[in-house]
Amino acid sequence: MLFSTFVFILGFLPVVFLGYFILNKKKLLIASKVWLIFSSLFFYSWWNIAYLPLILASVLFNFILTNSMLHVKASSVMNKKVLLLIGIIFNVGLLVYFKYMDFFISNVNALTDSEIALLHLALPLGISFYTLQQIAFIVDSYEGLVKKKNFLDYTLFVVFFPQLIAGPIVHYKEVMPQFESIKNKIFNYNNIALGMFIFSIGLFKKIVIADTFSIWVHQGFDVAYTLSFFDAWIASLSYTFQLYFDFSGYSDMAIGIALLFNIALPQNFNSPLKATGMIDYWKRWHITLTQFITAYIYTPIVRSFVPLTFHKAMFATLLVFLISGMWHGAGWTFIFWGFLHGISVVINHYWQKKVKIKMPQYLAWFITFQFLNFGNVFFRATDFDRAISILQSMVDYHHILVSDYLIRRMRYWGYSVEKLDGYSAAHSFVDVDAVLMIVLGFIIALGFKNSTQLQQAFSTMKRVSIRWYLWSILLMSLSFMVMSFQTTTEFLYFNF
Amino acid sequence: MTKEEVLVKMQEIFRETFNDTSLVITEDTNAEDIDEWDSFNHINLVASIEKAFDIKFALGELQTLENVGDMITLMITSKL
Repeated sequence: MLFSTFVFILGFLPVVFLGYFILNKKKLLIASKVWLIFSSLFFYSWWNIAYLPLILASVLFNFILTNSMLHVKASSVMNKKVLLLIGIIFNVGLLVYFKYMDFFISNVNALTDSEIALLHLALPLGISFYTLQQIAFIVDSYEGLVKKKNFLDYTLFVVFFPQLIAGPIVHYKEVMPQFESIKNKIFNYNNIALGMFIFSIGLFKKIVIADTFSIWVHQGFDVAYTLSFFDAWIASLSYTFQLYFDFSGYSDMAIGIALLFNIALPQNFNSPLKATGMIDYWKRWHITLTQFITAYIYTPIVRSFVPLTFHKAMFATLLVFLISGMWHGAGWTFIFWGFLHGISVVINHYWQKKVKIKMPQYLAWFITFQFLNFGNVFFRATDFDRAISILQSMVDYHHILVSDYLIRRMRYWGYSVEKLDGYSAAHSFVDVDAVLMIVLGFIIALGFKNSTQLQQAFSTMKRVSIRWYLWSILLMSLSFMVMSFQTTTEFLYFNF
Repeated sequence: MTKEEVLVKMQEIFRETFNDTSLVITEDTNAEDIDEWDSFNHINLVASIEKAFDIKFALGELQTLENVGDMITLMITSKL
């Protein structure tokens, strides 16, 4: 079930919410957790019940494994370290099997001229996310950070529906104490108001902004054969905005929904498009993923490099970004995207440490933004040829005027313009709407406070002023309006 | 060790890591206050602290250490 559908907002959510607090009020605390777990599994199975056994098996296996970690003797063969290894192999193995098998097979086929049949496995929903969350849990258990747990709590931690499919990636110690706290088991009107507010921001970002951009993204990346200069720019910028508004909108919705249940999920975005450098960007974009990667992949690697030098750390950085690229998708374009980001972060570090020239902020922002937009072409394009063709169009200023729309405009303004030979403008999709949306995208992404800053402002108020309720109502009604005549699309990060 | 003793020792480590002999830290000092405190230096810092105090942080603890005070509290309560 998608957050951005009527069946979720007007059906599922109110029922789960009321059920949870009624059970809590009757002091049926176990039942309220079971209710939340079953609701979450129902939410998950709505897409495809076939994925359900896999996630249940994964939860059960990881629970048993981490539980035995608490009880094993250091001297036995199955000691903690062996269990840790088994756990990591199991979780990474599942992910590799479902996500990367066909990628490996097709590469082997290409290299050896063989024809091994592809498995054509569907990617189980959310597997990339629940795998990471559980790996972190295993490592935390191994290092003694998890003192007590029970099966019910552990299951709830993994399957809690606001963050199950695409994060924010949470830690056991972050959320479980919140579920335990007695004061979180009663209605909290402030949290409900705040949760609805954050949710409505996310819904608006997804439905009104991201889904609108998706039209030009689809035109530019999937439909049009050759793109004019303007088409290519509109397509790539549209994707940069779509990706941000889609994923941060999803995260806002997740955070807002969890707040209804008095659970504070961690911040996942901090206005990443305002970044003035690539290191800065990765502190602002998909923050919980960056934290996971830094803590559980980067740190063990650099810890093994003794003594740690700058160059070794940079090597580890690049390696980690390649892994991150791979995590985002099974394809060479994703790995190349990871490589680009890795190199850019290394350059950023090198610049800070060795070159030490301070750039004007707007220039730093401009370079960062252009780079992101450039990298995103590889992130979105179905293959390298496509990506390169779009990038070529973006620098092909000879064919600037190939767009029908622009030719009409130029003629309207009294310029005599002819179509250039050999180029067809039949596919040009640049229109006033696209240009206006891009401008709007810049204004919203750069000029506004983000949802977390607004949340902080909200929390410091003694009394929530009527203005905030009006904003929630406005954003939600606008989204509802668009939702009523448009089928909602899936969130982009569901495929990663 | 008391908080103050740890802080004094930490100050030396900070000065060494960030190559700044005049650096003064308090419990509130965080990554925002020191320009060079990025992910790379954070790891360096943690490694130096682990060595100096003969302790080891868990991977899952590292990201919750947002300021010097957090580090000291964690060290005193669970490591020293």
